[in-house]
This record gives sequence, structure tokens and C-alpha cells, in this order.
Amino acid sequence: MLGRGLKRKLSDYEESMAGLSSAFDSSRGLPYPLKRQLVLNMCLTKLQTYKMLVEPNLHRSVLIANTVRQIQEEMRQESNQQPLPSGVGQQESHCCDLRSVEDPIENSLLIVSDDDMSSAISSILKDLDFVEDISPPTCLVPTGDDQPKFPENTGLKLEDDRQDLKGAECVFGSFEISNSTSYLKDLAIDDIFEDIDTSMYDSDFCCPPLMPPRSPSLATEEPLKTFPSCNSSSANNIQICRTDLSELDHIMEILVGS
Amino acid sequence: MGAILKPRTLPRLRAAPSRSRPRSRPRSRGSPRHGRSVSPPGPRAGTGRAGPGPGPAGPRERGAGRAAPAAAAGCGARRAGPGAGRFAPSVPPSLAHRPFSSAVVARAAGDGGGSSSEVQWCFLQVKGAIDEDVAEADIISTVEFNYTGDLLATGDKGGRVVIFQREQETKSRPLSRGEYNVYSTFQSHEPEFDYLKSLEIEEKINKIRWLPQQNAAHFLLSTNDKTIKLWKISERDKRAEGYNLKDEDGRLREPFRVTELRVPTLKPMDLMVEASPRRTFANAHTYHINSISVNSDYATYLSADDLRINLWHLEVTNRSFNIVDIKPANMEELTEVITAAEFHPHHCNVFVYSSSKGTIRLCDMRSAALCDQHSKFFEEPEDPSSRSFFSEIISSISDVKFSHSGRYMMTRDYLSVKVWDINMENRPVETYQVHEYLRSKLCSLYENDCIFDKFECCWNGSDSTIMTGSYNNFFRTFERNMPRDTTLEASRESSKPRAILKPRKVCTTGKRKKDEITVDSLDFNKKILHTAWHPMENIIAVAATNNLYLFQEKVN
Repeated sequence: MLGRGLKRKLSDYEESMAGLSSAFDSSRGLPYPLKRQLVLNMCLTKLQTYKMLVEPNLHRSVLIANTVRQIQEEMRQESNQQPLPSGVGQQESHCCDLRSVEDPIENSLLIVSDDDMSSAISSILKDLDFVEDISPPTCLVPTGDDQPKFPENTGLKLEDDRQDLKGAECVFGSFEISNSTSYLKDLAIDDIFEDIDTSMYDSDFCCPPLMPPRSPSLATEEPLKTFPSCNSSSANNIQICRTDLSELDHIMEILVGS
Repeated sequence: MGAILKPRTLPRLRAAPSRSRPRSRPRSRGSPRHGRSVSPPGPRAGTGRAGPGPGPAGPRERGAGRAAPAAAAGCGARRAGPGAGRFAPSVPPSLAHRPFSSAVVARAAGDGGGSSSEVQWCFLQVKGAIDEDVAEADIISTVEFNYTGDLLATGDKGGRVVIFQREQETKSRPLSRGEYNVYSTFQSHEPEFDYLKSLEIEEKINKIRWLPQQNAAHFLLSTNDKTIKLWKISERDKRAEGYNLKDEDGRLREPFRVTELRVPTLKPMDLMVEASPRRTFANAHTYHINSISVNSDYATYLSADDLRINLWHLEVTNRSFNIVDIKPANMEELTEVITAAEFHPHHCNVFVYSSSKGTIRLCDMRSAALCDQHSKFFEEPEDPSSRSFFSEIISSISDVKFSHSGRYMMTRDYLSVKVWDINMENRPVETYQVHEYLRSKLCSLYENDCIFDKFECCWNGSDSTIMTGSYNNFFRTFERNMPRDTTLEASRESSKPRAILKPRKVCTTGKRKKDEITVDSLDFNKKILHTAWHPMENIIAVAATNNLYLFQEKVN
């Protein structure tokens, strides 16, 4: 069964990770770059897991992001010093002789993922910022009437953040968000109702298209489920999908006979 | 990218002018001690020293991993000297009524009989279910004694607060002296749903802080991730009887049946303890609240989340003042978060906050309305020989606590506890290794997320001993002047009444002695994160997952 297969895969993964981390802890034999790569992999896995969580923990994310940055910086320094003899100017290396062999291959891989990592970190932090700080700034001057300011501030902030997202979406790296709003694109609404003959009702649009029950949540979910849905191309998709949904509801109303 | 409107562009008002010395109110956190020097009472206060080693002077090194600091000969003089006179002893009325208060303090410091005798702990009580299957909601998330130590409050992940009260000494039940029994239970916070962000707000109680008692009722602040509440716990033992329009059973009387009027009288009834929410301080924190701290003026308090600290007045719920904001304009530049904050116990304009990078900042609210500029910055230079990938993570401070005297503060990071003199910023005066044997296991602990566990720490009433938790339900006490440390375990096995706790030991070398436990067999799911020490006596409360253990000093 699919479920069982998945479970087994996860536990295998966990076991292998546990095995690796205990190897890290107990070993002298593990070469430094390998240790570093292991830590880096763990960090990135954690960041990815945290992204999928409903409520990301800012403290942990910042700590892990700092660790990733530190490792990145180290790697960058090493790759800069690559042409130099390995003994010179390397503070952190523990096994210089092994490194010189493994470095060319590793560094080429690492350089490739460098940009991905920095963009991943920045996207994660921006993500956290947006998710957390969407509420209006509540630390106000105690002067006069604060009430009218609230919707104004919210509106401004949302708008700014939406613009931020569009910019952030450009730096969005290799990390996929598994729970994106691609359901809007995936859901082929028309296919489901292909066989229903709605020709007699097509011209009958005297009753206004009802608000689909999902659209209020669309409005809130849309900024939250960040990058894919904020593309200008997918914005059109959303428009199309909205009309489809309203038509769908109209059809459902008729079918149900209410 | 559009410019984001920063709340800081609006001018801020400073907090109300603070009094440097509080009015006479029950400040039962042991004020008589303030007149004394910081070192605990006993023959050691003079020149004679019973303990081994160079004595308390100078920074102390325990365990490997940190650069050995130079001994400072002047430190010894500083401890006993001018600091003592800074805080005028004002005996609060409540303590004055307790004739044995000073004797209690002396006894607590070490059995009265000499400086070298160790405090022996014996089991007092355990609260909580015994089942192996622990419900998530029952996990205790905070423990706090009140100012007199008569009340002990615990909060759990289910948003409930349980308050225990100490039984008074009575002749009829001499054995139950000092026992804590349930006084009040109430649901402080409910799970909430933030519809705008589609996020559930946890009801877990992050912190409870008592307010000093000013009348018959007790007040405490409890907070979850977003909202702080002020609760009033009051007793009712009288009931009004003899209403004119109501019968005894509550039925309304016909007015024309009332032939004569009477005045209702108060009759005694069974004691009922009621908890009612008096204030709700909400909507001021975007990030998760990690600390609250009541100011020594007892009129204001601070609440800290990951990036901001707000100052509140206890009477005002619709407004708070932002006094620290470390959020960068661009969130991508965020590298540090606030992890804990506390007011100074005597100076109501001073507070400290710790960060995830292992630094502490002391701020003075008189200097500016927004305390982004610190007055003092405490950081220990890193020891390059112990550097690893996880150095930053384990340096993150999980708790900061001022000593009762206000002269020292203690910080807890993952592997150690450090005591800082607030007059010395470049390094701590004492460092205690809690579980140094975990340093070689950091990768595994990182993998299972244990490295992010936030341990708390606490002082005893006389500031002579500090306590913090560890794994496998172990907790450790460090006597500062000895120096002596003990590892104890909170377990059901040693839960017989008056049973003396046996010190435990973790085997760090290859050869395991009898009764020692190896590092690999430690249970990392049994962690003691929350502990509390009675403000005057040697009674400690230790939270082990869903159980609350109470231990008392062995009394002959």
C-alpha cells in the first residue's frame, strides 16, 4: 500500500540520518567536509520541514539559518582560497590532506547550490515575516482616535507585502512549497461537469452569480500561500477559475433545485 | 518593493516616572537579606574559609570548554563590600509578623550547623497522573512560587493553571506541615484561531508571574503566545442570607407576601476559591511571547516576544509601550531574536534581555523611550578551541534571572549556567557545566531537535545556590561558594515520603561504576525544563513532563 510504503521510506530516512549523526558525533574518521555537508543537509531539511509547518518557529529558523550561513561562508572562503596550497590560510580545516582531493568535486557542487541557499534563506525569512506581521502595527501613540487608523494601516501593509511577495518570488530558489495553492490550477473544474448538459441554462444569467463559498478564504489564503499564486500569469488563472467557480455554483444550485 | 510603514515613526511616550524605592507593601522576597552582603550567612562571611580552593573570589571555572579566566583578587572584596549598603533594608509588614523568618533563612543556607554541610533533599510530594501515556495537554509548561512561598502555581499545555497552597502547621496534623495541596484550578487560556492568518494560537501557558499580595486576594499574570491575562484568586467563606425578595432556595417571593423587612446577614459557608480574569492584555505581540516580568514598582510589567518588548501598566489594557524593537527593516537580515527578559528586582527603570546569540543587554528606561541602545552589553568571548557547527545554537540563552539581591544575574544556555556580575560585561564571574558530556552528542541532539530545548534556571532565596534541569529527569544544584554541585533525579522510584534523594552520576568515561548511568542510556524525552525554588525556605518544585515533584530539605 502506498501509505505503508511511504512510512517505511521515512523511517529508513530517519534511521539513516540517525546513523549519520551518531557517526558524526562519535567519529574522528569522518572528514571535515563530509561532516560539514551532513550538517548542512540537516539544516536545510529542517528549514524545509519548518516551512511546511502551520506555524513556523522564528527562533529555531533563525538559528538554523545562521548555521547555514556560517557553513556557506566557510565554503565560500575555501573555494576562494582553492588555488592556494591547502595549508595556507585555512583556519577551520582539520584534515587538510583529504580535503584537497575531495574539494574540486564538492566545491563545484557547493557553488552551484550557494545561490539557492541564500535565496532559500531569504525566502524563508521573508515568508516568516509576512506570515507573522500581517496584523496591523498595534504599538500606537495614545493620541485621540486610533480606530480609523486601523483599516488604513492594514490596507497599506497588505498592499506593500503583496508587492514584496512579487519581488520575493523572483528570488525564490529551489525550495518548493508542497502545500501551495496550485489546487486552483490542478482542479480541472470543467472536467468534472463535462457530461452535464447545461446548454439550456447558459443564457440564463439573470440571477447574479453567487459568491462561491470558497472565495473569502481565497482572498485570505492567496497572500499566505505565497509565491506560485502571485505570478502575473497565474493571476489570470485565478480570475478564470473564479468565474468558473461562480458558474459551478450556479449550476449546483440548479441541480440541487433550491 | 514598497516601503513598509514602520510603527516606529510614531513618537512614543515614556513609561510613568518610576519611584526608586517602593512604598511599604508586602515585599516578601526576603528584604532583610538586602542589608547583608551577597555571600550567604555563616562563618564564611568573614576571613575564615572552610571550603577548598581559592574561595569565591574571582571567576570560577568548572569543566572544560571555556578559556580559563584570570583570577581577580579584587573580586573577593567586592562581594562583601560596598554592594551591601546599596539596598536599604525595608522590612515588609508580612515578614515582620513571622518571628522565625531570619532563622528560616539561616537554616536554609546550610542546616545552620556549619558551612560545609550539604543540603540533603528528601521527597515531599508528587502531583500528577502516573500513567505512562501522557496527554499533551497535561505537560507542565511553567512553575512559579509566589512572594511568600505559600502558593505555587503551575501552567500546562492545555491552558490550565493549577495553584497549590501550603498547609499551615497545625497540631492536629503535624505530618502534613509544609504539604502543598490544590487551592484553585482554572482554565486561563483557550485555544484560539487567528482567522486572518489561518493559524491556531496555542493555549499553552508560557509563563506565570505573581503579583505581591496587597489585600486578601491573590493576583497573577499568565500568558500564552499572544495574550496576557491578570487573574484574581479570591476566597469566599461567607454567604449572605435573609434576602427579602428571595427565598432560601432562591425562588423569588411575591412582593405582597413580604410582611416585614430584614437586613441580610453573613453566614459562614464552605471555603470556595474563585479565579476571575480581571484584565486581558491582547493584540500587542506579533511574535510569540516568551517572557513576562513584573516591575518592582508593582504597577507595570514587561512582555517580550521574539523581536519586541512591550511595557504595560497593570490597569491599562488597551495600550502598551514598545520599549525594544530589534526587528530589521528587511527580514532577510534577521540574525538574532530575543529569548528572555526580566526587570531588575529593585531598580524599576532597569531590565535585561537575552538573545539567541548568547548576549545579554541591560537597558535603562530613563535614557530613551525606545531602548534599542543598551546601557550594558554582556558577552563572553568565544573559546576558539570549542568551536563547532553548533556553537551558535548552543550559545542561545534560554533563561535569564536576576539574583534576589539584584547584584548578579544568571543565564542558561544549552550546556551551562553562567552567573554574571552586572558591573562586569566582558565575561561571567562563574560558569557551571550542567551536562558537558552532551557536547560530543550535539549532532544527534540537533537531529532530534533536543538542542532547541529551553531550560530554565532559578536562584535560592539567599542567592547561594542555583538550580537547573537536565535530561533523564535529572536536575542539578550548584552551590556557589563551595563550589559543590549535585545531580538529583525526579522519579517515581524515589517517591516515598521523607525518602532522601540519592545523588546521581552520569558516567563519562568508559568504565561505568555501579549506580552510574551512561550517556547513551539517558532518556532525552524526560527533560526537566521548569524548576522553582521557594523564596525563603529550601523547598523546590520540579516539573517532569506532567508530574510536579516537591522536595524539601531534610529536617532532623
